Amino acid sequence: MVQADHKRHFKFDWITILLFLILLFFGWINIISASTTGEITSYLDLNQPYGKQLLYIFLTFGLIAVILAIEAKFYERFASIIYLVSLLSLVGLFIFGKEVNGALSWYGIGSITIQPAEFAKFATALAIAKYISDLETDLKTIKDQIKSVLIITIPALLILLQNDTGSMLVYASFFFVFYREGIQQVYLIIGIVLILIAVLSIKFGVLITVGTFAAIILAIYFLLRKKKIQIIQLISVFLLISVMSVAVKYVYQTVLKPHQKDRIELWLRLEKDPEKLREMRQTILYNLNESEKAISSGGIKGKGFMEGTRTTGKFVPEQHTDYIFSTVGEEWGFLGSAFVVIVFVLLIVRILFLAESQKTQFSRVYGYGVASILFFHFTINIGMVMGLIPTIGIPLPLFSYGGSGLWAFTIMIFIFIKLDANKVNEW
Amino acid sequence: MAVKEKHILNRLYFVSGMFFVFAIAVLLKLLSIQFINGDTYRDMAEKRTIKNVVIPANRGNVYATDGSLLATSIPKYDIRFDALTPTKTRFDAHVKSLADSLAAFTGKSSAYHLKELQKARINKNRYFLIARNLKYSEYLRISNFPLLNLGAFKGGLIVEQTTKREHPMGAIAERSIGYERVDDKGNITRAGIDGAFGAEYLRGVDGKRLKVKIGNGQWKPLTDYNEVEPKDGYDVYTTIDVNIQDIAHHALLEQLEYYKADHGCVVVMEVATGEIKAISNLGRTSNGNYYEKLNYAVGESHEPGSTFKLMALVAALEHKVVDTTDIVDTKNGILSFYGKKVRDSKHGGYGKISIAKAFEVSSNTGIVSVINEHYKNDPRKFVEQLQKMNLHNTLDLPLIGEGKPIIPHPDDKERWSGIALQWMAYGYGVSFTPLQTLTFYNAIANNGEMVKPQFLKEVRYFDQVIQPYQKEVINPQICSPETVAKVKQLLTNVVEKKHGTGHKLYSPNFSMAGKTGTCQKNYSDKDKLNYISSFAGFFPAENPKYSCIVVIHEPDKEVGYYGADVSGPVFKKIAQKIYTDTPLIDEVYNLDFQDLPVEKDYNRFYSIANNYKTVMPALVGLPVMDALTLLENMDVKVQIELKGSGVVKSQSVNSGTKLNNQQTVVLEAI
Repeated sequence: MVQADHKRHFKFDWITILLFLILLFFGWINIISASTTGEITSYLDLNQPYGKQLLYIFLTFGLIAVILAIEAKFYERFASIIYLVSLLSLVGLFIFGKEVNGALSWYGIGSITIQPAEFAKFATALAIAKYISDLETDLKTIKDQIKSVLIITIPALLILLQNDTGSMLVYASFFFVFYREGIQQVYLIIGIVLILIAVLSIKFGVLITVGTFAAIILAIYFLLRKKKIQIIQLISVFLLISVMSVAVKYVYQTVLKPHQKDRIELWLRLEKDPEKLREMRQTILYNLNESEKAISSGGIKGKGFMEGTRTTGKFVPEQHTDYIFSTVGEEWGFLGSAFVVIVFVLLIVRILFLAESQKTQFSRVYGYGVASILFFHFTINIGMVMGLIPTIGIPLPLFSYGGSGLWAFTIMIFIFIKLDANKVNEW
Repeated sequence: MAVKEKHILNRLYFVSGMFFVFAIAVLLKLLSIQFINGDTYRDMAEKRTIKNVVIPANRGNVYATDGSLLATSIPKYDIRFDALTPTKTRFDAHVKSLADSLAAFTGKSSAYHLKELQKARINKNRYFLIARNLKYSEYLRISNFPLLNLGAFKGGLIVEQTTKREHPMGAIAERSIGYERVDDKGNITRAGIDGAFGAEYLRGVDGKRLKVKIGNGQWKPLTDYNEVEPKDGYDVYTTIDVNIQDIAHHALLEQLEYYKADHGCVVVMEVATGEIKAISNLGRTSNGNYYEKLNYAVGESHEPGSTFKLMALVAALEHKVVDTTDIVDTKNGILSFYGKKVRDSKHGGYGKISIAKAFEVSSNTGIVSVINEHYKNDPRKFVEQLQKMNLHNTLDLPLIGEGKPIIPHPDDKERWSGIALQWMAYGYGVSFTPLQTLTFYNAIANNGEMVKPQFLKEVRYFDQVIQPYQKEVINPQICSPETVAKVKQLLTNVVEKKHGTGHKLYSPNFSMAGKTGTCQKNYSDKDKLNYISSFAGFFPAENPKYSCIVVIHEPDKEVGYYGADVSGPVFKKIAQKIYTDTPLIDEVYNLDFQDLPVEKDYNRFYSIANNYKTVMPALVGLPVMDALTLLENMDVKVQIELKGSGVVKSQSVNSGTKLNNQQTVVLEAI
């Protein structure tokens, strides 16, 4: 080990890389099916999404080489700068941005479009890692908690202003990072309670929600009487919950856009009239409906590559981007879908455990950030494609068509691989 | 520290536990979608997004006996455009020229088409309608337009074929050719030959094709091939003779218009075979036009009036209770039975005349007396003789809606009465369709052999005969040859004898036989009283080839109503035009005409072309086209400048000048 002091040792985590490559390749296969409109003359046809994606994939390998070549410490040192640059690129959208499908999220340079929100994710992850790993930061203090939340909120707000709600929601995934890094348990409880309040208020109304929580509070009070909880505290919690409930209802009624309202309404099955429900499903949830049908038609083994009638027939809108998983479902069946889910879970859990094994807090927090973002994307996307959660348009990492997304995720994952490979040099 | 580690590890397990919970939820949902609710989704998917579309088989054609088309299905094409299929480069490169081409086709502006096409692209319209109901040539033209000529996969061309039934002969015999329509609920309306033989021969077997939904309630074909190939229908060759049909149609139409009649029909039948050579049914519209409204000849059963005297007399002759030479008293033209009167159209009657003459002058009292005298005690015998001659049966035609014949029987208490026999004798209280009456007359013309009216000659599939149709005999001998001979003579006399009611039809050049009928209609109400004028017979009288019936309902009484006046001329015209020694020649312009100016131009052109090879000819006065041809075909090549068009007014080089290669010649024209 004496000699080792003079030498850098790299031990890349090949499992992560293998999982990454599997997803990349399988994703491209499905993009071919989902985007072809007829005969394929050449897989390199740059007029077709599959051709472009292949180009992006080739370029990805160059990117990987660059990322792995850069000194691991660079990412920690320059985390703030990277973060600031990405914030600037988000702000720049308001001036130079190009609007696509109602979202002002792209820079258009010739025929190339770049979506800075994708890159802002790993930049934020770096910044959070950098901030939390600072010796002076103590996440147990309110002050530092607010500061770290601000780091997340600034890009999230910018993205929200650009009308890209889906990408904005991804920043919620940093909660996991904070949770791991030791914020108080009460935040988890508050978070769960908040979600419960929101769902209950919309589904059953304010009265039932408030009533339910009143009952819970009373139960807690009588069960834990010995611990002398002050009644004032309980009452104020109750009041807070009531206010929250009313606020949620108000936001739902007035702030949300009709299409967002409709999606929630359908998800919570608020519409009782089956005829109207059916009609809503066919119009508002047209994509989901088509996607579920495509998946269901796959059966256990699927129809095979390029054999999916609903895929090649272009039933599912946006199938090569957000709804790519329905292609998997149709052409590769239950087995293929389960395979994708398992590979994703393996990748995320692998990153999570690698993160846990990091020697520096920076690497660990960053790893958690990567795992959380991947998990959030995976959850929301697959949940949406299968109707588990309301429709929120975000891509399936490494799978969905699109250069920005692919590169951003590649950079994100490989920075972590680089950090991880460097851990033997940390002590 | 150790405590903290454990605390943190719990958090790790909590977070990764959530991942697993979610992954399991995803797998469960997958199972639910693919297996538990799979059938529901699949049903929904099949129903809503893929459907088997019926491709109608090409319906067979209906032909006249000589092969002229009477009804055929014409393919029509709809052209649509999948605006998403062409790549951006291709779309941008060709959209302008496509818009230009479309503008030339539709007459709308190119800018309009450009806008529409671009809109379709922006709206991702994958089923944009370009043109519908195109003829084949138009379809070829449009499918060769820029972009569309790249085909379905590159150019986004979508072609759909539909068929339309057309009657190339127009309104002629439209009703007998008929149609078969299927409405949305699958109810079928059928009429005429097209309807009658639709299911059996014409329809063919429909094919199937998978189509997919592409949104907005529109469908496009999923594959290039059909799931089930359609099998074309058979062609039906009718017995209709286009020439005779044409004659009959126009003869009837002319007469209907003259008499402002409500409706009428003509049927021409070939005596030996029963083949229907022409069948025309015209009804009056509210504004006085006539068109093939209903198939009166087949469907309308009515009291025949005097044409039925033939049946009555044949029955009596068969029983040999009378002979044509027997004398009958026409009783001053009025007979009375139970207070009801039978009148002759001639006031005062005809006195005592032979039965033959009573028939020829169509004396009601004469014929009624004879029948009354011989059958009043046994009317059953008379009725049964009529039945023996198959008059009480329908003809069992394939066409829908044949009217039922009515002959009251003494056992039929509802229809029979004290005067039923007497009234029947001159054609009241009985009811036949024109075709049924004609079938009887045809049997007489055919020496007693009653044949079924035949509409079809054969059914074919291309060159292959699927089903030939032979003549069908209803009754090989409805009456004895002697009776046939006697009544044939009487029918001939109706036309030939001066006293015959049909003498107006008489032509010294051509023999016809027949019986007039003038039947009162709605006689129970004086105000509504009207007439049915008919004439049934055959020609030539001595060796009948065709039988024919003309029935005209409700002619304007002011103009006339006797069978001989109203229906007779139609019969005569048809008979003469079809089959006469002195045919009425339709005037045709002599085609071998000469147009002097053209001839003159041609001669001049020809002489210049032969004589001027290098020298400028005199071109003034020649049509510009000729002048250009001449100059271009000379041995020297000159540059021609042309101003105006029409006839050459002046030439820049004088005639007789020697021309050089590349020399410019300016022609000015008016």
